[in-house]
Amino acid sequence: MKFLLSQSLILSLLFLKIGFAQNKTIVSDLENLTLNIGQLFKPVSTVVLSDGTTGDCKRIIYYNKKGVFSSAKSITFDRSEGTLKANEPGTHEIVAVCIDSQGKRLSKTFYVNVNYPKVKEIKVSINEKNVYEGNYIKLIYEITDELNNKRIVDYWNYENASKYFSKVDVSLKSSNEKVKIDESNNILALEEGNSTIVVLFDGVSASIDLKIKKNPVAKLNLESDVFNARSGDVINFKAIAYGKNNNKLENLPIEFSFTGKSFDKSNSASGLILEDGRFVGDVPGKYIISARIGNISSSKIVNIFPRNVKREISNVGRGVVNDRHTSDFWIFEGIDGGDYGVTGTWGADGTAFFWDVSDPSNLKKIDSIQVDARTVNDVKVSQDGKICVISREGASNRKNGMIIIDVSNPRDVKIISEYTKNLTGGVHNVFIDNNHIYALSNGERYYIINVDDPAKPYEVGMFELKKEGQSIHDVWIEDGIAYSSNWRDGVYLVDVGNGIAGGSPSNPVSFGNYSYDSGANHATFPFKSKSTGKFYTILGDEIFPNGVNPNGTNETAGFLHFVDFSDLNNPVEVARYELPGHGSHNYWIKDDILYVAMYSGGLRVVDISGDLLGDLYKQDREIGYLLTGSPNGYIPNDTMVWGAQLYKGHVFYSDFNTGLGAAKVSSNKPDNSKTNQYIN
Amino acid sequence: MKRIKILIFLFSIFNFSNAQNYYLYVASESDDTVSLLKFDGKNIEEKERITVGSYPTEIEGPHGITVDPNGKYWYVSLAHGNPYGKLIKYSTETNKVVDETTLGLFPASMQISKITGFLYCVNFNLHGNMKPSTVSVVDAETMTEITQITTGSMPHGSRISSDGLKQYSVAMMSGELYEIDALSLKILRKLDLEDHSKMNHNNMKMDKMKHSIVKPTWVIPHPNQNVLYVAGNGSDEIIEIDIDKWAISKRIKTEKGPYNVEISPDGKYMVATLKSVAKTAVWEIKSGDLIKTFDNSNSVPHGVAISSDSKYAFISVEGVGGQPGIVDVIDLENQILVDKVEIGKQAGGIAFWKKDI
Repeated sequence: MKFLLSQSLILSLLFLKIGFAQNKTIVSDLENLTLNIGQLFKPVSTVVLSDGTTGDCKRIIYYNKKGVFSSAKSITFDRSEGTLKANEPGTHEIVAVCIDSQGKRLSKTFYVNVNYPKVKEIKVSINEKNVYEGNYIKLIYEITDELNNKRIVDYWNYENASKYFSKVDVSLKSSNEKVKIDESNNILALEEGNSTIVVLFDGVSASIDLKIKKNPVAKLNLESDVFNARSGDVINFKAIAYGKNNNKLENLPIEFSFTGKSFDKSNSASGLILEDGRFVGDVPGKYIISARIGNISSSKIVNIFPRNVKREISNVGRGVVNDRHTSDFWIFEGIDGGDYGVTGTWGADGTAFFWDVSDPSNLKKIDSIQVDARTVNDVKVSQDGKICVISREGASNRKNGMIIIDVSNPRDVKIISEYTKNLTGGVHNVFIDNNHIYALSNGERYYIINVDDPAKPYEVGMFELKKEGQSIHDVWIEDGIAYSSNWRDGVYLVDVGNGIAGGSPSNPVSFGNYSYDSGANHATFPFKSKSTGKFYTILGDEIFPNGVNPNGTNETAGFLHFVDFSDLNNPVEVARYELPGHGSHNYWIKDDILYVAMYSGGLRVVDISGDLLGDLYKQDREIGYLLTGSPNGYIPNDTMVWGAQLYKGHVFYSDFNTGLGAAKVSSNKPDNSKTNQYIN
Repeated sequence: MKRIKILIFLFSIFNFSNAQNYYLYVASESDDTVSLLKFDGKNIEEKERITVGSYPTEIEGPHGITVDPNGKYWYVSLAHGNPYGKLIKYSTETNKVVDETTLGLFPASMQISKITGFLYCVNFNLHGNMKPSTVSVVDAETMTEITQITTGSMPHGSRISSDGLKQYSVAMMSGELYEIDALSLKILRKLDLEDHSKMNHNNMKMDKMKHSIVKPTWVIPHPNQNVLYVAGNGSDEIIEIDIDKWAISKRIKTEKGPYNVEISPDGKYMVATLKSVAKTAVWEIKSGDLIKTFDNSNSVPHGVAISSDSKYAFISVEGVGGQPGIVDVIDLENQILVDKVEIGKQAGGIAFWKKDI
């Protein structure tokens, strides 16, 4: 009976709950709200029940769904005044959260539109001095809005331009039929004469008067002394134009292009040609290079043959570390003239190992040191082979910092000092140069520490970008220039003693910078090409597209960006080394050969001689590779190369799962005798 | 009648075999893992080890961990980023990522208010120069960081009052206690925790950030009294704060290095890790008596989580270097160390999830 009563009671309660439960929602004047930039608005919101009555809402809190970082300044809040401010155009999600007197919350997202500022002024220009019939006219737009923001939209930046053009009404009209404007607003000069182009952006117009000249060119010669080249070789084509009187014409807007056919029927010809006539063929084949002005053109054929740089790369020796992960390493000549190495360990017990590498086929562990850390991510040795610095992360007292070690006897290394000032957040990378240690602090900046007396290190300088969210991953010093890799801010070239910008370790002076879209700049290596004299910085990405797989192969991505820094004020990204399916990590360059750890893609050796242009991997510049996984690795058979260093003719490497290794690039071509042995 | 008999039978089974299981999550800062632990009243075991973070070759440092009031999600802060850390939301059902958001520098401890549903996480920022840092407020539902509220230098120990309306944290290097209104998201009050009777102010440059002697590392509100308890990691004391008077009401001397403090949900016990001496101390709050000090299973005890029935305290122990992290279990009623389990390196953030049968 009691059971029946309790059942009835539960059912009654359920009925009551269902019977009285009402849907409720937040009603706000944020709904369909449109604001102008700079406008303040004080929202009013109430909770409304399904029967139309007003519900309980003790407190209402508004926020921008983009968060609080720079990307979220589009709409900001003054919670004291209860107002919001429109800062950026577009549609923004504003969340209203209502807390009732019972402590229950209700939230709703509203879409607030902020008008794009009206276009105030348009200027249209072209770069070419003369416009000739038969050529496309490359208009440049300078758009100023009512808030005096300026946008430059040039012909070759159409991806960005199209985003803008989709937001405003754009139309182009010509005064006559001497030009043809296509549906994408490209303008082709058709015949000699004057024509005015009128550009209309959201009702604001501008015009440009074009004087289309008759094509003065009677003959065009495409010149180059190269008829046969290898894949990856850069060929400089020069187009020389002649008038009717066979007179040479200068400064004409000549357009270069190419077509081609691969020798391999299943492959596609590919390459790159620049506006100045530089051409590179990626794939062996026959290529027709053309230069054109108006209806006058000239072509030339080049044969691109295989680069033929493949060499045998063999593993010479291993210093296996398979009870923990291995991190960075450094090979050095000791003060006794012997050859030694040091390796760090990752996510373990703070150990660094020291190695005798005099015989690369017999790498011998000769000493180790353990510090209070979980990760010794980076290790470096001074040029004189006397001191080593190791970084610390995961120290039990959370002071981290770095440890300076006496390695004058690598068989009996001794800690000289610990340095933690300003380095408590963990040191990820370090470098030693001329009695100074450059140590990263929490991935935000680097400190410069004098170690004239390694027992008494002291800070002399610091470099940071002074930006919100500044971030740094690595620093490398060469010839008194520090190359710091700053993720989305790219590489910074800083004078720390070179003299180029009057800098010193105590007064680091930045004088160059280059960044790129992916924002994944993780390492940088300076490269003065022996074969061309050009100066490059090679910027490496670090990307793990699928996060962490703790027990197996981690997918890696990203590539090396080759930036021609010959003109410090105008660095130009000219080439890339991208290994499909594998990402880049640390690398080394010597005599125009790149030795790069491509993580899961193994140790790769790449010919980077000559001019560099385009996709170096496609150009078959790879000399060879070595997969460094081992059946008895920490993760068996899992190649994960961390870094590479060429030292006295051997390529040393460290692998996350196998430890230290030494490889040799042979002068022999690879033995392909067993390739496709089952195919006739 | 037959139905009643069945019910009585089921009730008997329920009552006589009600072995309780307790579940908790613990973050291992130097292994980038979170362990799900199960304790059955006698033995504790690791049920699952979840890898967190997205860089296989970088330590991202899971530090703070909390479970939402409904027990549906757990949240872990990753201390190291580029440069900002992250908050990651996981499902307790699957232990898979649900969502994430970026926070400030070295986001550390955190808790969710049962009223607002917002998560309040201190950005510890232990990097280099001491300067004021922030408390991030995140709407855990949309995983949006709503605002950052600037407090003191190296804020730590974010805890919410039992009514869900106030958030408390301490600033380790500036020696301050902060009270934030969980609704208006503004600082209501700030309290200087230093014992000025023992301080020499002669050499203090007032224009610079002050350096605390107390070095407070944790604050916990009592579940049903208007008092707070603060761990004075530098001054070796637990400081009792009268919330109504907003003043220090008691300084309880401890062994060296009190670090994290928790109060049992029934308000009976206070449990604090003594980081520097590898011990955990238990006080009876009513009498103020120190009941017992336990030697932890290894050095560097870190966090405390207490079961919802106030029976057990779970202590995370970091260890040093390559040593595994450990979780010690203390039976609070019988004052004995019941069991321990090894987990990933540098076990730190610890959060009680649920008790079930």
